[in-house]
Amino acid sequence: MKVIKLEKKKLIPFLQFISQERELWAPVKKNDRIIYDLIEDFTCIDMNTTRTLLPPKKVIIPQQFNMFRVTGLGYESDYSHAVKKILFGIHPCDIHGLLILDKLFMQDHPDPYYIEARRNTLILGLSCWPDEHCFARSTNTHIIREGFDLFFTDLEHSYLVWVGSSAGDDLIKLKPEFFEQKPTDQDIQDFTYMQIERDTSYKTKINFISMPDLMELKYNETFWEKMGRACLGCGSCSMVCPTCNCYNVIDRHLISEETGERRRYWDSCTLCEYSEVAEGVNFRKNCADRLRLWYTHKMQAFISKYGKASCVGCGRCLLTCPVDINVLTVSKSLQGKDVYAYWNRLPREASDDKSSK
Amino acid sequence: MSKNKLRIGVYGLTGCAGDQLTILNCEDRLLKLFETVDVRSFLMAKSDNLEEELDIALVEGSVSTRSDEESVINIRQRTGSLVAIGICACFGGIQAVFTEPEEWAKQYEQVYGNRSVSSNAALQSRPVKAFVKVDYYLPGCPIHKEQFLALLSRLALGSTPEFHRAPVCLECKWQENDCLLNKNVLCLGPLTTAGCGAICPTCNLPCVGCWGPFEEANCWSEWNLLLDKDYDRNIIMQKMKSFSGTGFIQFFNTMKKERT
Amino acid sequence: MINQASKTAAIENPFLPEPARIVRSYHLIEGVKFFQIRIVDIEKALSFRYLPGQFVMLSILGIGEAPFSISSTPSRPGMLEFCIRDVGRVTNALFALKENSIIGIRGPYGNGFPVETMQNKNLIIISGGLGVAPLRSVLLYSLDNRDLFKDVTFLYGAKRPYEMIFRDEFLRLSKRDDVECLLTVDHDDTGTWTEKTGVVTSLFKYLAEIEPGETYAMVCGPPVMYKYVIDELLKFKIPKHQILMTLERRMKCGIGKCGHCAIDYIYTCIDGPVFSYWDVIHMRELI
Repeated sequence: MKVIKLEKKKLIPFLQFISQERELWAPVKKNDRIIYDLIEDFTCIDMNTTRTLLPPKKVIIPQQFNMFRVTGLGYESDYSHAVKKILFGIHPCDIHGLLILDKLFMQDHPDPYYIEARRNTLILGLSCWPDEHCFARSTNTHIIREGFDLFFTDLEHSYLVWVGSSAGDDLIKLKPEFFEQKPTDQDIQDFTYMQIERDTSYKTKINFISMPDLMELKYNETFWEKMGRACLGCGSCSMVCPTCNCYNVIDRHLISEETGERRRYWDSCTLCEYSEVAEGVNFRKNCADRLRLWYTHKMQAFISKYGKASCVGCGRCLLTCPVDINVLTVSKSLQGKDVYAYWNRLPREASDDKSSK
Repeated sequence: MSKNKLRIGVYGLTGCAGDQLTILNCEDRLLKLFETVDVRSFLMAKSDNLEEELDIALVEGSVSTRSDEESVINIRQRTGSLVAIGICACFGGIQAVFTEPEEWAKQYEQVYGNRSVSSNAALQSRPVKAFVKVDYYLPGCPIHKEQFLALLSRLALGSTPEFHRAPVCLECKWQENDCLLNKNVLCLGPLTTAGCGAICPTCNLPCVGCWGPFEEANCWSEWNLLLDKDYDRNIIMQKMKSFSGTGFIQFFNTMKKERT
Repeated sequence: MINQASKTAAIENPFLPEPARIVRSYHLIEGVKFFQIRIVDIEKALSFRYLPGQFVMLSILGIGEAPFSISSTPSRPGMLEFCIRDVGRVTNALFALKENSIIGIRGPYGNGFPVETMQNKNLIIISGGLGVAPLRSVLLYSLDNRDLFKDVTFLYGAKRPYEMIFRDEFLRLSKRDDVECLLTVDHDDTGTWTEKTGVVTSLFKYLAEIEPGETYAMVCGPPVMYKYVIDELLKFKIPKHQILMTLERRMKCGIGKCGHCAIDYIYTCIDGPVFSYWDVIHMRELI
């Protein structure tokens, strides 16, 4: 893979230049939160963020969008979410997240809404530094070697730029004068030291090796029930997870409008409605069962099918769940370790009928 | 007016009339709406109201007086389906905060003393469902235009309305907000039905529960979580009670038992 | 602005329904209606290929979409038949539609019954109540291709005579000698029932000796039925992977994308809805 070099001060002008005919989406700070957003003011791009609140899946498949319109007798696809975009500032773990979604959405029975947006989005990755919640080292997603068009590695005064695709190469060719074709020996040394230091900076560690077996062996452990009792059923974990792909649809045809539409929106398997079938029959009435499904999918099913966990170690669930149900506490529980978490100290309701409900 | 059009009545019991106002606020779409359905009665919008048979009655407000009770029974008798609109009609709203009869009686005495009120006696405020059968609920304080139009459109198609059954948190995450509970703010998002678009948390204000209790609300966990964050139980109870009307009554009853 | 999304994608949109006409609909029993549906585009109607046991998604404008198993046989192309119980929003709306109404259809989805593997084998089809909907497809298919299969046995139990779906059709079948058709009702309160009475498992005693290894059993019915029927089939020593059942789940996409029908690590919509008993004992929450 070709590696070239870009002076730091030239990055913004480069981004400005290449986004003339495409939307540029990048992390920005908005009301104290870091989110991926459409960039209008290029000076607002947050180059140093650890993680965005929602993962970049929202740039490909928005939280909610119309799948098609119903006009008279016909149906008309609506791909308006899939405009040409550049997604800049995406970290290795999140690129891995997209690669996992690619497997789910693009293999067997491909989803055109995903494919269309994915095809129209250029991925410009950016290196990052872990905080205490990152555990991408454990999921082996802290380094990325595929799935991007360009990847920028921050070396204090300049970026080393990996050119990952011919589309990425075309971007470089728009402004070749911005780049130095060969990194210096010093750059290579800086890069090497940086990688080693970064590698050792992951404080949160999870051992995923025996997860599928442990999920099976500990299916009936009491910690599931404890988590189920504490789970607020808010669905936030699914929303912030870079690999959660579930959705729901709702049909709408307002009497005040000429056409109807089918709306698709992010859903979570932790919601009660999720597994309900006709006549209110629910195969997973219990919150514990729903949580177990979530973790079975991430840490057992996906591993069985694709050889790795459907978790990229981004740490979002650790920061999001108000009751401490997350990949870290679940995996610790599976490994039989003591867990300090809200769900573990929540007392049982005296008139506890939750489990029998 | 055509006979085939859906006959609709919009009524207000005890409430702020904000839901009826929201309907009027549909503005340009309202005209189209009024062309499509036959609005028989809507006191806030028109004067030539016919109190006859209806296909759909939209009822706002809680039942707080004898005359409220009489009207709602009368409306029920002449309508095909009845939709409770707004938090007051759905759960009793703010005025149903005194959910316990003794508490309410004490309050009543403080206000009215021993005087007998003959013309329109006050009742302990209750949601519409405490008096008549309610077919559909459209919560909100006030209701959301889009949800109202979606509900009416479904009913006009002869089908049942459908909303995404989730708590506010889901929409809050769509809006990309940091969880306020994680910032130790007393937020009722997890206990509250979605539909508002999480407007309060998006403005960094906690959810006060104005869309009413979520069907799967885990009160026990939220309650203890807030205690864990050093909130006083009376404060938590006050917050949980303010909009939920009779919605959390079962939880409060179990809590009472727990204390004794 | 130059940047505009295209109206068409690189691949065909599998989520887009195809307009289809309700050609015929009538009540089979109370609460259950029969629908004949034909895709409006005649070429697409004739080229619509499916397997017994597969399902489609039916859409009603502005109301929603739901999965329905196909009750007709692919050996009679052009027309699709469904046997639908009025249980929810979409079925309510379907019931209210008049003949000649247009609905949306997409599919077929799911694995269906392994009709090729079952060739030259004995078939035992056991259904209870509305469970006959997907099984009628495989039953008619086996009769239309009678020489492809060895003995075909059809057992069907309903609560009461007037709750037996396709009763007249099956009564005619019971007169044929190339298929063993045994019908039963739990109670006969009409006094006119000429077939068997008792639960569906009571029909097993009428079965001739079977070669278990050479037999496939297909089961569909209310959840309570499975355990008893499977116990009987195991007594006959039919291998677990040759006992097939079809399951129902909530589905929003039909192609393994929305996640709603997930059970452990399988998706009912693409890995099912037909599962073998061997699959089922390895998965929790399945029935």
